[in-house]
Amino acid sequence: MAPLIYSALIISLGLGTTMTFASTHWYLAWMGIEINTLAIIPLMAQNHIPRAIEATTKYFFVQATASATLLFAGISNAFLTGQWDITYTPYTLTSTLITLALAMKIGLAPLHSWMPEVMQGLNLLTGLILSTWQKLAPLYLIYQIQPNNPNIFIALGLMSIIVGGWGGFNQVQLRKILAYSSIAHLGWMILILSFSPPLALLTIIIYILMTFSLFSSFMLTRTTHINSLSTTWAKIPILTISTPLILLSLGGLPPLAGFMPKWMILQELTKQSLCPLATMAALSSLFSLYFYLRLSYAMTLTMPPNNPAGTLPWRLNPQHNTLPLALTTTSTICLLPMTPAIMSLMPF
Amino acid sequence: MLKILIPSILLLPSTWLTPQKYLWTTTLSYSLLIASASLMWLATPSETGWSFLSCLMASDPISTPLLVLTCWLLPLMVLASQNHLMLEPINRQRTFISLLISLQIFLILAFSATELIMFYIMFEATLIPTLIIITRWGNQMERLNAGTYFLFYTLAGSLPLLIALLLLQNSTGTLSFFTIPYLPSTCSTPWAHKMWWTACLLAFLIKMPLYGAHLWLPKAHVEAPIAGSMILAAVLLKLGGYGMMRILIILDPLTKELSYPFIILALWGVIMTGSICLRQTDLKALIAYSSVSHMGLVAAGILIQTPWAFTGALILMIAHGLTSSALFCLANTNYERTHSRTMILARGLQTLLPLTAVWWFIATLANLALPPLPNLMGELMIITSLFNWSMWTLILTGLGTLITAGYSLYMFLMTQHGQLPHHLISLNPPHSREHLLLTLHLLPLLLLILKPELIWGWSA
Repeated sequence: MAPLIYSALIISLGLGTTMTFASTHWYLAWMGIEINTLAIIPLMAQNHIPRAIEATTKYFFVQATASATLLFAGISNAFLTGQWDITYTPYTLTSTLITLALAMKIGLAPLHSWMPEVMQGLNLLTGLILSTWQKLAPLYLIYQIQPNNPNIFIALGLMSIIVGGWGGFNQVQLRKILAYSSIAHLGWMILILSFSPPLALLTIIIYILMTFSLFSSFMLTRTTHINSLSTTWAKIPILTISTPLILLSLGGLPPLAGFMPKWMILQELTKQSLCPLATMAALSSLFSLYFYLRLSYAMTLTMPPNNPAGTLPWRLNPQHNTLPLALTTTSTICLLPMTPAIMSLMPF
Repeated sequence: MLKILIPSILLLPSTWLTPQKYLWTTTLSYSLLIASASLMWLATPSETGWSFLSCLMASDPISTPLLVLTCWLLPLMVLASQNHLMLEPINRQRTFISLLISLQIFLILAFSATELIMFYIMFEATLIPTLIIITRWGNQMERLNAGTYFLFYTLAGSLPLLIALLLLQNSTGTLSFFTIPYLPSTCSTPWAHKMWWTACLLAFLIKMPLYGAHLWLPKAHVEAPIAGSMILAAVLLKLGGYGMMRILIILDPLTKELSYPFIILALWGVIMTGSICLRQTDLKALIAYSSVSHMGLVAAGILIQTPWAFTGALILMIAHGLTSSALFCLANTNYERTHSRTMILARGLQTLLPLTAVWWFIATLANLALPPLPNLMGELMIITSLFNWSMWTLILTGLGTLITAGYSLYMFLMTQHGQLPHHLISLNPPHSREHLLLTLHLLPLLLLILKPELIWGWSA
């Protein structure tokens, strides 16, 4: 893509999210989200292959539906309460409608069906933007509306954790697996959003770190299928050590950093006396761990001198810009001892 | 405490920076040095209280024997793995040794933790290096299934434990071992209290393993390489026992009613797994099921919570750790020569490897709890305290002892006595390394006959 157009689109992405963050009026918030959607559409379609066009079209339809619902909910709120402030949503109708619209935007179950298919059609960099940057603005808006009862959040969250785990069971395409992983982690965020928003912030920051590491590892080796993971040892051997650790961190195993959000969320849920919910959420995250484990089996644990699982590819000369990957991988693996420091930074 | 922990952590850079010629020599000698230094923990000044205190780590008479066993096992694992790793590239050898060292670090932190959440995190942290050792360096295709079973059985038990610990922390404010015995019991609705009790114990019972949840153990032990089998059998199972001992303090008085099914399941498991051992054809599976059997006795002993039972459980844990690890090393000598775990393919080895037959003999006698070995001391104390708890358990434990003797003898006679199979003319003679390995396993066991006070825990 031409550099000028590319940078214009990236800047528009930034502009959209920033506008939503800075807004207190429903129109401005909605405008920021629309700018985000419109800016990422050309990025998704830049490949000009039919699969990418299909993903772009699906994404556009879903996001347009969600934005229209969001605008409708905002206008209904203004009609019912007499003001456009996004923090003032006393009526259950409007707050539920806003929550569901934003849930559809970020791909929470049961409004998640578009996510794996859209992610599958994109290249890895756009997929990374879709699963990290595009979640920020809607999550911020969900936090802002401060609903009166947390039941819808608990329902959305628990369903997302289960769907995100169960849906990825049968997948061999890495981008679909990453989509289901995104659904599951967003489920954890939504679960805790009504009880402790700083913990949701912590969850999404740690999730962005982990996903960025994983996407960058896959981008370095240009792998999009489980079978092509098995040749990583020949291309970049160090990735065969770091990527399984990133995957296990995504699965939430101590002593890796991915355990930190789960631990803190479970602590908050037990403080709210929601122990059966906490148990169900914790055990549902074991589903996702199963397919992360399968990925690490394919990549590392079946290396030569055991039989390799895939045919050897052409080894072209890739560019190695590995500093961001190094930083995020280190933080994904080693950040757990910093938990007290991070917790003291969170405003409780 | 840091005197042992920091050298263990620094073993990691020394593994990666040592030149190839000296890798195994260096790691072996330094880990032996750390192991001998760890013996200082056995000189506990206070019989029932905590020693070597800092704010996060301490040792007491229960954790000390397990800590020393952990530190003792690292040089043994390095010795045992040397042969099968010789053909691999040097960086993979270094990675393997780093996994063993990181396992030791996590285990030291787990056994010396003074706070339950720290113990929990280190308990879970031992899963990752063990998983990598089993699935990367195991030898058969079934190792992937074994790794999955291992990881998921343990995690399914320990996630409810995390929630139970967080609940306890919410109501009592702290989870430090120093103050936990003095806390009032957390009373909520009876149903919630029972669920909380189960959640606290389930992780450790699965890890021990209790008979109903033991399926991961034969798979993991059989598919693991020798170092993996050693550390699993010797120390990782004892993490479950140690955790149970620590957490039972806060679970009273509900334990008196709720522990019934688990005690009976454990004792029934002793008999069932012993019977399975009598029909095994796979040598490592036999030793694995024998581990389940002994650990069932330990679980029953811990759950009845009398002083003799705790003492017996701790002694049996240490003695079984050394014995089971020695048996796995002996099975590995067979495996390295015939590349098969089937017992009938390597019979009559007394003719071919007579000196190894001596070690087989001593290890088998230890396994069937011959006096005066500490195995007998542990089993006898547990059986006695179980008899005190209910005299009907004598039927189960007596039968269990009989079957244990039966399968131990079966294992010995199958591998050592009898005629050689027709396809074996000679095998490679045993290396001095293998004799050293078995000496280092069995000599502490024999020496413990002379001073069992070191490993019998709290009884002053």
